[in-house]
Amino acid sequence: MIDNVLAAAALLTTPILLAAIGGLINRLGGIVNLGLEGMMLTGAYVALAASSATQSWPVALLAALIAGGVVGYLFSLAVTRLQANEIVAGVGLNVATAGLIGFILKDYYHSSGTIRLPDVVMLPRIVIPGMAQIPIVGAILSGKDPLTWLSWALVPITAFVLSRTRAGLRLRAAGAAPEAARALGLDPLAIRDASTAVAGALAGLAGAQLSIGVVGVFSVGISGGRAFIALAAFYFGRNRPGLTAAGAALFGLFDAIQIYLQGRGVAPELMQMLPYIVVLVVLTAIGLAERRRRLLQGA
Amino acid sequence: MTAATTGVVRTSRFDWAALVAAFAPFVVALIVGAILLAATGRNPLAVYGLMLREGFGGESRIAATLTAATPILFTAIATAISFRAGIFNVGVEGVFSLGGLAGAVAGFTLTALPSPLLILAELAVGALVGALWLAAPALLRARLEVDEVVSTLMLNFVAVNLTLYLVNGPFLAPGSANSATPMIAEAGWLPRIAPPSTLSLAFVMALVFLALYALWDRLTPLGFEARLNGLNPRFSRAIGIDAPRLILKVMIISGAIGGLAGSAHALGVTHRFVVGFSPGYGWTGLAVALMGRNSAIGMLLGAIVFGALASAGTTVQLFSDIPLEIVDVLQGVVTIFAVVRFGRLLRGRRAA
Repeated sequence: MIDNVLAAAALLTTPILLAAIGGLINRLGGIVNLGLEGMMLTGAYVALAASSATQSWPVALLAALIAGGVVGYLFSLAVTRLQANEIVAGVGLNVATAGLIGFILKDYYHSSGTIRLPDVVMLPRIVIPGMAQIPIVGAILSGKDPLTWLSWALVPITAFVLSRTRAGLRLRAAGAAPEAARALGLDPLAIRDASTAVAGALAGLAGAQLSIGVVGVFSVGISGGRAFIALAAFYFGRNRPGLTAAGAALFGLFDAIQIYLQGRGVAPELMQMLPYIVVLVVLTAIGLAERRRRLLQGA
Repeated sequence: MTAATTGVVRTSRFDWAALVAAFAPFVVALIVGAILLAATGRNPLAVYGLMLREGFGGESRIAATLTAATPILFTAIATAISFRAGIFNVGVEGVFSLGGLAGAVAGFTLTALPSPLLILAELAVGALVGALWLAAPALLRARLEVDEVVSTLMLNFVAVNLTLYLVNGPFLAPGSANSATPMIAEAGWLPRIAPPSTLSLAFVMALVFLALYALWDRLTPLGFEARLNGLNPRFSRAIGIDAPRLILKVMIISGAIGGLAGSAHALGVTHRFVVGFSPGYGWTGLAVALMGRNSAIGMLLGAIVFGALASAGTTVQLFSDIPLEIVDVLQGVVTIFAVVRFGRLLRGRRAA
């Protein structure tokens, strides 16, 4: 039973983690991205369509990555060049992309919700010989798709790039001190747009994991608010890749437990509340700690 | 200089530039929609003509549009109150659902009350729940400096899941297949003001609150303090405005109106609480408040246009092969571009 829940949790964490890393990079660049959900949905649809058309999962992933990145970039232009409000524009983007994809589904596929396409090639499962026999670790690591491995590989890579490389420093400068960045001859808006494109690309991959990694169909509700859980994960992680990943894994585990407990007398809605409550508790605790520090310093 | 800044200097003159700016997002949305419609082999002008007729053609269609505009107008007012004070409160979406559920629960439990009292009780319960809900992020912001955008956003997801839990559990109508509460007692429904249409007293209430909002905004000390705090928090602190108290008051009022909005919607339109009670009314209201630059007339116009989109969309799908989703595309694009300044493109590149 524990193995089943952990195996499910590992799979459920992947899209949250990918989108959370994207959201983290975007936020460091200066944009809080509520439109990740729309980018995830776009990636999910494009991955399935591309996989069906080409029968190649790498091509499908590339297509989802590009589609998410393009949507992210366009969204970013509205925010950085036209001063759209990032919060409400993100919400609007989610409505618009869901509407557009729903429109395509009805008009082109004559389906009002779910589509199955012929010849879809799913993401392969990577099986490491002997791994499955190891308790707990085996359940988490065995038979996972490439995106799950990629998402975890991205955690140290992101941490390294952000703290140790020129690109990471420029990204943080563009987000935290755009004026200073400009004085150094950088273009903070272009950097910000690039960070949104990266976030969109990662959200696109997250969507691909949902459509061609797990179920092999696409439905308009497939992203199901996962980008918002990712948002909770990056608020939980407060700009730190490691903590953000821990948040994503925790919320993935909540999701797996919730699915396991369905029909066992625990309401799924109460479990689904947990990520957001955890974030509120963390923020409150930080606020209290800082107030106490201020009071001690004042005394 | 923003429209809000100039608004303080000359509150009496009508701001034409702001009006033009407010219509820009609709123009962009119509262009995007036209491309989509043309690409799928339809005549955009014919579709828009049909939508215009379905939105405004005749008494019953106008009544349907105003019915759809009512919750949007309410949530816009609730949001604008906190925006005025410089609080970016995005929590009205969650409060709307909570208020709707609370009003519905009062409506099927307090059935011993006579009609006017029952309606008052339902509305009061909705407002109370909303006020309490938003008092929490207000306290977090005022006492612990917790960013209200994050807290109210997170609280929305808590609120939606909480109402889902309650409507699937303790308040589920017995024998009901879909997730809904029992019907509100008929004595607790808001009366219809233009039968046979569904337009109810809720619309009149929204107009009254809009007028009260305009008065609050321009004539009351709290409205003035809110505006000062919104424009320049440091100045307002320097002249002795108690920001934490102001935040708390404004958020409580915002929550009360947001909750009232939900219960009025339950009492006037749905007559129960169902899953999917709010298809994003709070977010649309937020966009309308931004688009109308928190002005009463701007919000009224914005709410009516969004209401027309919603009411036209549902019937357009019935009479043609156009997917209902076209409305989501239009509405989403309007929302994305709600506050953009196209002037910046014309004036050339400026620093951000």
